[in-house]
Amino acid sequence: MSDDGFLRVADVSKWYGDEQVLHDVSFEMDRGDVTVLIGPSGSGKSTMLRCVNRLAEAQEGSILLDGEEVLSPDLDVNDLRREVGMVFQGFNLFAHLTAVGNVALGPRRVLGLSEAAARERAEAQLERVGLGDQFDSYPAELSGGQQQRVGIARALAMEPKLLLFDEPTSALDPELIGEVLEVMHGLVDEGMTMLVVTHEMSFAREVADEIVFLDDGRVVERGPPDQLFERPERERTGRFLERIASHD
Amino acid sequence: MAGATRPATVRERVADSDRSVGRLLLVAAGALFWGWLVVSWVNRWLGGVLVPVGDPLVPPGAVEATLAAIPGIAAYAADAAFVVELSPEIARGTWLTVVITAASLVVGFFIAVPLAVTRVYGRFSAWVSLAYTELLRGTPLLAQLFVLHYGLNLGSYVPDTLSGVFARNVVWVAIVGFTLNGAAYQAEYIRGAIESVEEGQITAGRAIGLSKLETIYYVVLPQGLRYAIPSWTNEFVYLIKYSSLAAFITVPELYYRADQIASETFRYTLIFIVTGVTYLALVLTASKLMERVESRVSIPGLGVDRER
Ligand SMILES: Nc1ncnc2c1ncn2[C@@H]1O[C@H](COP(=O)(O)OP(=O)(O)OP(=O)(O)O)[C@@H](O)[C@H]1O
Ligand SMILES: [Mg+2]
Repeated sequence: MSDDGFLRVADVSKWYGDEQVLHDVSFEMDRGDVTVLIGPSGSGKSTMLRCVNRLAEAQEGSILLDGEEVLSPDLDVNDLRREVGMVFQGFNLFAHLTAVGNVALGPRRVLGLSEAAARERAEAQLERVGLGDQFDSYPAELSGGQQQRVGIARALAMEPKLLLFDEPTSALDPELIGEVLEVMHGLVDEGMTMLVVTHEMSFAREVADEIVFLDDGRVVERGPPDQLFERPERERTGRFLERIASHD
Repeated sequence: MAGATRPATVRERVADSDRSVGRLLLVAAGALFWGWLVVSWVNRWLGGVLVPVGDPLVPPGAVEATLAAIPGIAAYAADAAFVVELSPEIARGTWLTVVITAASLVVGFFIAVPLAVTRVYGRFSAWVSLAYTELLRGTPLLAQLFVLHYGLNLGSYVPDTLSGVFARNVVWVAIVGFTLNGAAYQAEYIRGAIESVEEGQITAGRAIGLSKLETIYYVVLPQGLRYAIPSWTNEFVYLIKYSSLAAFITVPELYYRADQIASETFRYTLIFIVTGVTYLALVLTASKLMERVESRVSIPGLGVDRER
């Protein structure tokens, strides 16, 4: 791994009221890396992800993205979010817009592209995720797998330098997971930098450069998948992985 | 997928044709009603091109003679002729009812949307709009009209450019009153609707870099306003009927004209039946119109079909 420190998360702590949900979380990613966050429910995975695009506010620590301090109060969060795409567990597609409308909204209203250019870009992104035949379908007319692919296309249309995935396949019927993972595999091959929360361990093993295991808001252990899966240093990591494996 | 369609049963076909006959009658009645109104109004504006201003479109005498010749309804011929005779006044009053309702509703809408948005998303502004809506919904509309008209004498402040539009400035006072009051009610309906827009929609908007305001404009309102249509239609219907309160500040709208004719002729029952039917026709038009709008802007999965 070259160490370009594209994303440096250092000692990030976050509280919701009196409850501390992140304790000095640290990890780094290089450009083109795939980092997978794993951990039990309530361990703070989503919160960590949301701190990176400032949907949640970390109170302490530092997050450097491409050398810029994400947590700086002077930072324009909307500028940040143009560059950091997010894919949600529940898809969160704009219910009143077609597939193209969903993907084109950001390019049109945030990037300021013309109507035609935004549509063209949206169509290209939908083709990219295999939805060339669903341009004018509304979210309610699409399967979960298709909806999530629109969600990915929506994030891609902003040409982000980092993509955040929060359990992108957890809400899907098992038979629909494959098509979403396939799209994500494609992005990995293209060299997209991705920070992914998932319980899909085989996917994590295959594509992750590093796995970060969070428990109770703390990084218990992190390392390359082989090491973490085969020779976890911490007992808690082993137990968690066993539990996940028994679900598959 | 859904395949061949089953042939309709006889009973279904009868029900269908009943429904289409009913629809046809309703459409015919609506066309007759609006045709009569529009022709009456245009005739008046153009200084009596068809019939002298103030005269009915058809001579009452002819109506009476025709109906009298038909056995069974001959007894009502005189009443019918009377109704025809007062129809120009009814049309004239209905004009103001329609204008006051439409203007107040439209202007009120543009006040209601920011009120609703600030109620839901504002901090200090939420309190301001709460105070506004509670004040206007919590006090009698008639009292509000009296304050504007008798208390503030708002009519005397109407600028010259607007003064000429209606024969009396007090029409403007009524429009202001109904706009301010209706905005409060509309805001409540719209607030409820935008609160039902899912949180995830806002998160997704923010996540692609839209500002809070942009997210509200491009994501929340297009959905919320669709949800609001059915309840908003109620406000439309209420406003048509409430606009009759304008009579109490001497606006010569439908109710005022009816009341005036009734006290001159003492034919209260007949006149208020005719007036009632006119209001009913306006209300039906409004709800049919909004049904149209609703289906026109409907989106699969939004609104009615949203509940699983
Ligand atoms: N908006 C919030 N307000 C208060 N507490 C919150 C909020 N969001 C999350 N929390 C709390 O923060 C902790 C971490 O939650 P988070 O959603 O990040 O966990 P997670 O690892 O993503 O869990 P899951 O696997 O269930 O998605 C939990 O205890 C949760 O209850
Ligand atoms: Mg989560």
